[in-house]
Amino acid sequence: MTHAKFRAQIRKAGLLATAIAALMASPALAKVTVLGWPGGPEETALRAAADAYNAKADVAGNDKVELLFFNRDGFWDKLQADLAAGSTAFDVNLLATYSIGRYAPFMEPVELSGEAEGVYGDAVLKTMQFEGKQYGVPTDLSLHFMYYRKDLIDALLNDDAAKARYGEISEKLLSKKLEPKDPDAWDWDDYAATALYFTQSVNPDSPTRYGTVLQIKNLLFNVMVWQSLPRAYGGDWMDAEGKVTVNSDAYRKGLETYKLLYDNGATPRDSLSYEFPEANAAYASGQVAAMLQWNAAASDLTSTEKSPAVAEVTETVAPPTGPAGRFTHIHGLGFGLNKNAANKEGGVKFLQWLSSKEAALTYARNNGAPALTPDVVKEVAEERPDLVKLGEFAGTYGYVMSGGTSAGALSVYELQAKEFTGYWSGQQSLDEALANTEKGMAELLK
Amino acid sequence: MTTTSPSARTPEFRLLATPLVLFLLVFLGFPAIVNLVYSVSQVSFETLRSPQLSGFSNFAAVWNDTSFWRSVWFSLRFGALTALLECGLGLFLAIFLSPLIVKRSWLLAILMLPLMVAPALVGLMYRLVLHEFVGPVPHYLWIWFGTGVSFLGPGSAFWTLAAVETLQWTPFALLLFYMAYQAIPADIGEAAAIDGAGPLRRLWRIELPLMAPTIVAALLIRFIDGFRVFDNVYVLTGSGPGGATASLSIYIYEAFFKQGAIGKAVAASVLLFAASFAVLYGLNALATRRKGATA
Repeated sequence: MTHAKFRAQIRKAGLLATAIAALMASPALAKVTVLGWPGGPEETALRAAADAYNAKADVAGNDKVELLFFNRDGFWDKLQADLAAGSTAFDVNLLATYSIGRYAPFMEPVELSGEAEGVYGDAVLKTMQFEGKQYGVPTDLSLHFMYYRKDLIDALLNDDAAKARYGEISEKLLSKKLEPKDPDAWDWDDYAATALYFTQSVNPDSPTRYGTVLQIKNLLFNVMVWQSLPRAYGGDWMDAEGKVTVNSDAYRKGLETYKLLYDNGATPRDSLSYEFPEANAAYASGQVAAMLQWNAAASDLTSTEKSPAVAEVTETVAPPTGPAGRFTHIHGLGFGLNKNAANKEGGVKFLQWLSSKEAALTYARNNGAPALTPDVVKEVAEERPDLVKLGEFAGTYGYVMSGGTSAGALSVYELQAKEFTGYWSGQQSLDEALANTEKGMAELLK
Repeated sequence: MTTTSPSARTPEFRLLATPLVLFLLVFLGFPAIVNLVYSVSQVSFETLRSPQLSGFSNFAAVWNDTSFWRSVWFSLRFGALTALLECGLGLFLAIFLSPLIVKRSWLLAILMLPLMVAPALVGLMYRLVLHEFVGPVPHYLWIWFGTGVSFLGPGSAFWTLAAVETLQWTPFALLLFYMAYQAIPADIGEAAAIDGAGPLRRLWRIELPLMAPTIVAALLIRFIDGFRVFDNVYVLTGSGPGGATASLSIYIYEAFFKQGAIGKAVAASVLLFAASFAVLYGLNALATRRKGATA
């Protein structure tokens, strides 16, 4: 090959490489890349919403949405590392209520559409706020239901001998004589008394092995399930001055109630290693009378195919009440804007559309779990009756602990999970657990 | 006395060694330096590129953290117990099953199957196996004894985790010991038998001493693996109630990602590195001295 031919070949190769690079680069620059939560109903809903958005005539070619998913395992840790590294691989990313504060330094607040407040309501929008600024659109909401066996409760309510036994058990173990009530009228003592009554080690005549199933593995999500109990007694993370307030009667009551149930065998002995799936499996076996669990379990536990032993006799109500009121922890998954987004303008346009009524209904009709206001949810009530209860409970009973969206929120949950499970398992006293938690939280929330 | 090969100074040698040196510098040297800097800095995800030097406060925080020492104790106990169980069981099976495996070598492939399963998957599998309403073990225990057994409760989790680890990794020790056992020249055993040594005496006086280097290596490898355990423990119990089953790896992971205490996590890993280096250096020095004594 002559020198000239060689140079010509090199030039062609260079041109080809440039063309390929341009082809590969252009779609990434032109599109809005959205990082979603993979492998569940949230993915299905997001795909449907993205398709609907891309099909709109007024969405420019360079603002079309492309979706990006990576594995659920360690998702938040990977996202943390990506955001901190200034990744431009996505313009819009998933975020959760309890991690907003941690991600906020790498994200930008967004202005939602004018319809957002009417679609979601104030309590739900707050799940995506940090320091008064809106960081995301709350697309999926999680809260808790009290699942219970209607057949068992009805039998209890209609049997005088059973009522008397119930009273004896509550007097012996809770130091107060209680009468069985409809679960929608339960306070937390009624729940505890019912759990004890339906436990065979306490009441050998119980039709179920356990009265309840507690998920008390050392895991932050399990603290979220539990904390509606102290909340019902006025518990909060901090007071208005920012002082940590967990070393309180409310937290004592919550911790002691769980300890009493665990020590009396009202929950399986391995509950200290239980989380969502284990608790569901226990309840679905038909050997548990009532359980506080995430709303996400509702479809499985009321499906005759998946839970034949309990599906037709399972009912749900909001968690029990207390002197300070009736509460359910809520947190949302949502979407916000990456500070280093390559197509920031396109990302904002997508987020504004995502917060509209049209998007929320599309998302709801495709397996998503948005908490919608009564006016909006009625449009999908026939297809998604579960969303009616979700929206109602979120609006009426939903709360976020003070500091629950701060940068240290995740670490606070981790700390509480460690200290409280240490108490429930008998490795440390209640005083030690609360003192350690208070000290740790003061450090994390300062 | 060690000597340097003259070829090590040639340009060809340097050229050929360059990629390896560069690889080590980039993939080991750079992270090691960054870790050292982070271990003496106040650093968070927001300040990864601008850490503030803070002296040895991270080391002090780790040193004074009871959770750290608890995780060290867990890892040491777990590593030592599982290494002993796996090697003991592996040695017994290698010798006991040897005549069978020699004739039917496919048995070895079946015995090796647990090694093919990812540790995290093993953890998930046992979450099902040990679940009171799903798993077969608690099911039959309930039928036979009428009581639920807490396999992963605070009193039993350590032993359950050690049993799970042992069941998965005993085949590794078995494989090593079987190979070592087969490598012993048959004529040595035959000569001992002619001299009147029985099977137990031959095992104790001839075969085990000949297998000793393999046994020591297997114990060391299994101890290291057990000490740094993460996957199956994390999947089965997390870090356990009150942090009861947090290994050192889990402690570092949780400090880094869950608490965002990057400096503290890195300081713990630097301490672990220093301790590991000291132990390995000591073992190497011991081996060198023994080698010198026997030469």
